[in-house]
Amino acid sequence: MNDPIPSLPVLIARNLQRDFTLAGDKTLEVLRGIDLEIYESEMVAVRGLSGVGKSTLLHCIGLLDTPTCGELIYRDGESTWQSPGISEQNRCDLRNRFIGFVFQFFHLLNDLDVLENVMLPSIVSCTSSQWRKKRSKVETRARELLQRVDLEGRARQAPGTLSGGERQRVAIARALINNPRLLLCDEPTGNLDTRNSESIHTLLRELHEELGTSILVVTHDPDLANRADRLLSMIDGKFHD
Amino acid sequence: MQYHSFLTRRYLRRRWAPWTAAIAVALGVFSLISVLAVMEGFKLEMRERIRGSLSHLVVKGGALQGLVGEDQILETIRSQPGVLAASPFVETLAIYKVTRLDHCLVRGIEPVQESEVTDLGLYLLDNKEIDELLADPYKLLPDDRLPSSAEEIDNTFSLERRRLILRWKGKGEGFDEESPPQALVVGIEALRSGRLAMGDVVQLSSYSPVTFEPCTGKFIVVGAFQSGVYEQDQRWAYADIRALQEMLDLWDEEAQDMRISGVSVRLEDYSLAAVAKQQIEAEISRRMELSTIDETAIPWRPSEVLTWENQRENLLQAVEIEKRIIAVMMLLIVAFAAAMIFLILMLLVIEKNRDLGVLRALGASRNGVVLLVLRQGMLLCITGTILGLLGGWLLVENINYVHDTIRDLTGLQLFPPDIYYLERIPALLRWEDVALVCVPTLVFGFLGSFFPAQWAGRRDPIKALHHE
Ligand SMILES: Nc1ncnc2c1ncn2[C@@H]1O[C@H](COP(=O)(O)OP(=O)(O)OP(=O)(O)O)[C@@H](O)[C@H]1O
Ligand SMILES: [Mg+2]
Repeated sequence: MNDPIPSLPVLIARNLQRDFTLAGDKTLEVLRGIDLEIYESEMVAVRGLSGVGKSTLLHCIGLLDTPTCGELIYRDGESTWQSPGISEQNRCDLRNRFIGFVFQFFHLLNDLDVLENVMLPSIVSCTSSQWRKKRSKVETRARELLQRVDLEGRARQAPGTLSGGERQRVAIARALINNPRLLLCDEPTGNLDTRNSESIHTLLRELHEELGTSILVVTHDPDLANRADRLLSMIDGKFHD
Repeated sequence: MQYHSFLTRRYLRRRWAPWTAAIAVALGVFSLISVLAVMEGFKLEMRERIRGSLSHLVVKGGALQGLVGEDQILETIRSQPGVLAASPFVETLAIYKVTRLDHCLVRGIEPVQESEVTDLGLYLLDNKEIDELLADPYKLLPDDRLPSSAEEIDNTFSLERRRLILRWKGKGEGFDEESPPQALVVGIEALRSGRLAMGDVVQLSSYSPVTFEPCTGKFIVVGAFQSGVYEQDQRWAYADIRALQEMLDLWDEEAQDMRISGVSVRLEDYSLAAVAKQQIEAEISRRMELSTIDETAIPWRPSEVLTWENQRENLLQAVEIEKRIIAVMMLLIVAFAAAMIFLILMLLVIEKNRDLGVLRALGASRNGVVLLVLRQGMLLCITGTILGLLGGWLLVENINYVHDTIRDLTGLQLFPPDIYYLERIPALLRWEDVALVCVPTLVFGFLGSFFPAQWAGRRDPIKALHHE
């Protein structure tokens, strides 16, 4: 493992709490004060029992969910964004450019082919005229990424016809198309067999080193956890070393 | 945003179900457009025909009292600016019996003058035309028929013609030179239905509005007309005004003059009817106020001035209201189509729930997702509307061809020409009607898309992403 060079954090989470209100006025405290800093070019793995709140944490960091209290700071070079206090438009932009998502169930769009799935984050952020200008550049990059994940011949294939491992690699390419600062992976190999998992792990680590993207990965897989720069265990909604 | 059009294309390309909603919209718009166009064409046709047998304006007296001072009234009206011609008339209901008892509305006219204020010249038939129209019960006079000349009109009512006809037909007991039967021109439908025939000598019976005594007159059917309004062609009959005045005993003791029912007026420009109507009203009432010694005075009788539309207001409104009711009913089809859009989109949102969650995770905003769904709905709606408009327009342009084809193939006469005398189905597509169809369709389509779109926006992306 390389030693991380703890430069500046791309993400700071302070005292993150997330309660769910259940039926009958009960509240379920899932996150109970998470403090987390992720530095540039750092790969952090989170472990924990099922139901402890790992996915909830990723959703909060990924700006899909809003924490009950606590603070999130995102930094990209000179610019920083702080949540709460961030506009809806900025949240969307951050999800689009700053953060890349990789899910356990891949979540590719079946109506699009592989190449279009990879380009999707770029398409989402463009107006039609911007897209006309950018299209060829984005397509080149998407093909490069597909090549990088060993799927160059599959650009026009339908995602439904790919194997699980291949789908996850397409999903990784999609997450990286906009060059995000932070990649959030929620059990990326939770649905794959050992051999496929192994290759995804290798791929993630390699991409991490090549691109310098920070990665926060939730996993039950010791192999992937061991490849991370830092390993956090989540117990009762908090991190324990 | 780019992904809206991109995903809309992808979602609608390989699915046929959403297009059924577009087709439903198209069918709704199609039927509305064609029905409104035919109703409008029909309305105009009716209007034109009713207008033809009526003059622009009518100065009318009370039903019993009528008007007196015919010469002064005519002189008054004719001296008004914008008035082209004026012609007196007497109107009465009469019963007659030939084969069976029947009634008719007899209009006593000055034939040549009448042809100057109405289209009488256009639809007064000559002998040949009468034979032709009797041979084919659906036949209409051609549109480009030349009006009969004043001479021909005059001749129709002439003594000479009465004598001739009676001799040709060999009916009656010879021509009574002392009191010859009066000329009667009846509607073609009266002849077609066999109630009357050319040359029939009929006894018309009515009541005199002056003496309230029964009165009768002997008439001979010397001609026929076809106004194109079935009701009129069945019931109206024209006679000479003097003969009718005589029969009805219209001598007014007080004014020492013959009464008339009213005066028909033709204007130079009907669009100025409101002005002309006021002027005539004002001048007539002014002259009626004058003392009787004055040369220009008109003996006072209650009178009113009506445009031809005033006279047939109920009929014209009935057609217009009918059109509106049908439009509203047909909008139900469009509403149904919008409901289909609604259901299709709801299904799409359920089916694509995960995709929408992924889009949110990849940076689409809540409103972006709302617009994505809305866009699909509106695309279906607009496509349907355009197809429907196009189809409707094509049908309206070729409606008679389509009708004839259907008739030839199935033997069904969808539009029997006898009642309305329409050989051709009239159809006219107006911009107002197109708007009347399109605006509600788009509004319904919008509402049908709006609610699923809102619903899609409110769904929780996290829940959507939880599922495999
Ligand atoms: N919307 C919600 N409403 C109520 N409770 C919720 C909601 N979302 C999550 N929870 C609860 O929060 C807890 C944490 O869920 P979460 O999905 O974060 O667990 P996890 O650590 O990711 O588990 P796993 O390893 O199985 O994926 C669970 O007990 C879950 O029931
Ligand atoms: Mg989880």
